[in-house]
Amino acid sequence: MADQTTDVLVIGAGLAGVEASLVLANAGRKVYLVERQAYFGGNVIKSEEVFPNLECATCMIAPKQSDVIENQNVELLTLTEVKDVRGEAGAFGVTLLRRARYVSLENCIGCAACFEPCPVTAANEFEEGLSQRKAIYVACAGALPNAPAIAMGECLRSKGEECTACRDACMFDAINYEDKDEEREVKVGAIVVATGYRLSGAGLPDRLENVYNAFEFERLRASNGPTEGEIRTRDGKKPKSVALIHCAGRREKGYCSQVCCRYLAKFARYAFDKLEGVEVHEFIQEVSVPGKDSQRFLETALEKGVKLVRTKAVPGISANGSGVRIEFQANGKSESDEVDMAVLAPAIEPGSGAAALAELLGIETDGFGFFRTAGSEPATATRPGVFIAGCNSGPKDMQTVVIQAEAAAAGVLKMNHKDTETGPGEETQERPAGSGDG
Amino acid sequence: MGKIGLYLCECGPNIAEAIDLDRITAEIKKDAKVAGIERFKLLCSEDGKRFVTESIKERGYERVVIAACSPKQHQATFEQVVANAGLNAHVFQMVNIREQCAWATPDKEQATSKALRFIRAAIGRVRYHWPLEQKEIECSPDTIVIGGGTAGIEAALRIAQKGRKVFLLEKDEPGGTRRDREWMAARVDALRNNPLIEVYEHCKIRELLGFFGSFVAHLETREGNEVQLKAGSVVLATGAVAFDPTGLAGYGYRELEGVSTVREFEKAASDASDGHPKSVAVIHCVGREKLGYCSGTCCVEAMRVARRVKEASAETEVTEFYRDLCLPGTEHDRFYHETAKTGVRFVRFRDIDVAREGPGLVVRYRQEDGSSGSVVADAVVLSAGVAAGPANAEFARMFNIPLDEHGFFQSEHPVLNPVGTVTEGVFVVGGCRGPAGALDATAQAGAAAGKVLSALVPGRRLRLETRTSEVAEALCVGCGICVAACAYGAATLNEDRHIAVVNEVLCRGCGNCAAACPSGAAQHRQFTTRQMDQEVTQILR
Repeated sequence: MADQTTDVLVIGAGLAGVEASLVLANAGRKVYLVERQAYFGGNVIKSEEVFPNLECATCMIAPKQSDVIENQNVELLTLTEVKDVRGEAGAFGVTLLRRARYVSLENCIGCAACFEPCPVTAANEFEEGLSQRKAIYVACAGALPNAPAIAMGECLRSKGEECTACRDACMFDAINYEDKDEEREVKVGAIVVATGYRLSGAGLPDRLENVYNAFEFERLRASNGPTEGEIRTRDGKKPKSVALIHCAGRREKGYCSQVCCRYLAKFARYAFDKLEGVEVHEFIQEVSVPGKDSQRFLETALEKGVKLVRTKAVPGISANGSGVRIEFQANGKSESDEVDMAVLAPAIEPGSGAAALAELLGIETDGFGFFRTAGSEPATATRPGVFIAGCNSGPKDMQTVVIQAEAAAAGVLKMNHKDTETGPGEETQERPAGSGDG
Repeated sequence: MGKIGLYLCECGPNIAEAIDLDRITAEIKKDAKVAGIERFKLLCSEDGKRFVTESIKERGYERVVIAACSPKQHQATFEQVVANAGLNAHVFQMVNIREQCAWATPDKEQATSKALRFIRAAIGRVRYHWPLEQKEIECSPDTIVIGGGTAGIEAALRIAQKGRKVFLLEKDEPGGTRRDREWMAARVDALRNNPLIEVYEHCKIRELLGFFGSFVAHLETREGNEVQLKAGSVVLATGAVAFDPTGLAGYGYRELEGVSTVREFEKAASDASDGHPKSVAVIHCVGREKLGYCSGTCCVEAMRVARRVKEASAETEVTEFYRDLCLPGTEHDRFYHETAKTGVRFVRFRDIDVAREGPGLVVRYRQEDGSSGSVVADAVVLSAGVAAGPANAEFARMFNIPLDEHGFFQSEHPVLNPVGTVTEGVFVVGGCRGPAGALDATAQAGAAAGKVLSALVPGRRLRLETRTSEVAEALCVGCGICVAACAYGAATLNEDRHIAVVNEVLCRGCGNCAAACPSGAAQHRQFTTRQMDQEVTQILR
């Protein structure tokens, strides 16, 4: 029992990881919040506006990010991954691997003077490749921590050249080419897994010039994005017509991702707000807008003039000059449509590396690769001491992610009181799947 | 008003090159309002922070202005530095001359003028800054949970632990609408057997007084006794009600024999001993137009009816009439396909009408493409959504929580604080905050437990917000305008003295009362009229 600790490891610093960390830290727990990217905030910070009130997502989560940075109980470890997990609930030994940033978080003030002199350019992954960045870069304006990282694989130094352009430009002695990957051991009593989601490629057509996935379209609308919020086709034109295509990977994946109907309604509003006189055509099979605020949200978009087409299946998409041809079956007839731009809602699937992490943690996944929750416990994994928050256990809207993160924190806070009560984690009730109780 | 020290951060070249700090120094000296001006290369560095702390002590500054980057970046850093020098953190004002001047205004002359105005404004206001006291109160770690359905029971079980009691209040008996299910019975047993949970059933809540950390609930037991309970937090889990399709045109509910709701149908099916029906029609989305939202759980519930009918008698024809299939979650597409495989027919409709013809019921429908058809059925089952409970209005008044347009409790923020409310320490979970299945309700109960366990720790005192409002008694005429302006229930009227008072525990420092007050009695401690007058005057100078 000597190795028992109440410290907590939170894996993934998106909305779920941040919320769980703050609840735990406010309860007095020491939290190691690890994030494999150089920035934190996850997928949320890609959105300009979010359901239901079209608030700016970046601005919404920024105060929570400040809380993380300022909270004495939270140690945020970016560019860090979990390498090994040993032990058991109450006394896990975890090996973390921190990859070299080559920029000192203590010295860097985020002035960005190092970007311009860097001679290397590469596609910016955060912007879905819609813009270029340098080899020393931040994901987007406003990314936190406010310090860049060097993609050393792209840096001329990795190719044997003695380039010191960024170091020469830095006035604060923040660039350190000697930085090394480092392993670190931490001991924790509980682990919260909050590794998020990605958009699936399942069922998507081959890449076409003016066909966008949901993240690409979000970045077009983002004021800190590649077009500073102006919706433009890849050749820089204002689209006169935009098609929104629902359920792009639903049949292939075998489940409804449940947030797409709402965000496509939001995309329709983006289009009407930014493109005067635009035509918006939505191709839909089933309208799925659960929750008390959702239908009104959808209706607001429809009232602005969306042409809603109910199709038998997901339409076929092909190039039509620089535009997009859409072929579909509706009311028993084959029809087609031509638009300047098409936006797809792909299925949501677990983030990359979820399967390997599940194995490392010794937790079960479901048939789709999502982490399985224990019985009807909403945030408990199948191994004692491990909890789950966010879209890695299934697609969710932001509100539900926050709820699950807070519930995961409750699970952790409850753990050390086994002696007093039979509560969650120890006694779980199986409810039949599809019972309508869920 | 104290000696003021002004610190100018060069931020390396970031500020030094974009703003003429020499000119600023000269102009501020001319104003002769500060006791000293200090300039440093990088104030946020370890050297810089030490420099500020030591020079405040050496020169005896009593007010501090730091002109540097955004307070988002370093407000907390410098508050700590000022505190390290032995000053109250509130006699300090930060000025953003980097993001708002150096980085935003390319012309150096203009950037300098702008920075000068901002700095003068800060000096102007900091003269009227006074130390604010960090207050702490004792609080109770116990919790009152109102409602004994899934959400309430799960919240109670998660919160009760060593050092924390839970009082679960229920107007009827714990178990809610799912009382007859096996898993619920097990949870009710767990609840009743928990030594840290006191269950008050068949009780009525008369009044809730107090605030976060220290609530008092007055309740009346079935026997008519009055009981007082004290707790630091309250979880509202009063549930929702099934939408009642009575009077809804076209369905014949309560008019035609054989038309029932899902719950009625299932109850009748479990009681019945006679033969199976030949044909059953299940109609989805009943009342959705009236409700104005999709409840999210009824499509699956409607399919479950079909599955049970088919399990009992495979020959029975079952038709599911739906508008849109709402199947969120990873399990439900499969459930739908399996249901379709059992021979259940799915028909999408736009308009529907149920009528009795001879011995049976006839469901006539029209589809989106204008075609129409009909199905004869022995039984028609109406799958309706959930509606807000009628008691919400009274609880809303008692707890000062706004209701949304549908009559559900409103979250403090729909995304960031979904189970919190504007009344700090009062949480809403389950059907009372919107349609929720049992798993949703359980997750929300867990969320409320997380918030409660984290906010109220046994033995820990509650630190209050320092930047709050106060009412100057001598100026207050007791008009009550601030009471109406306050979203948090912090401003109330003291009827005896006929003045308004602000409860410091509830006040979040939004300043609405100060803005609304016609006599200048309500003031925000960090945004006094004096401070803001100085700030604006100096900016416009």
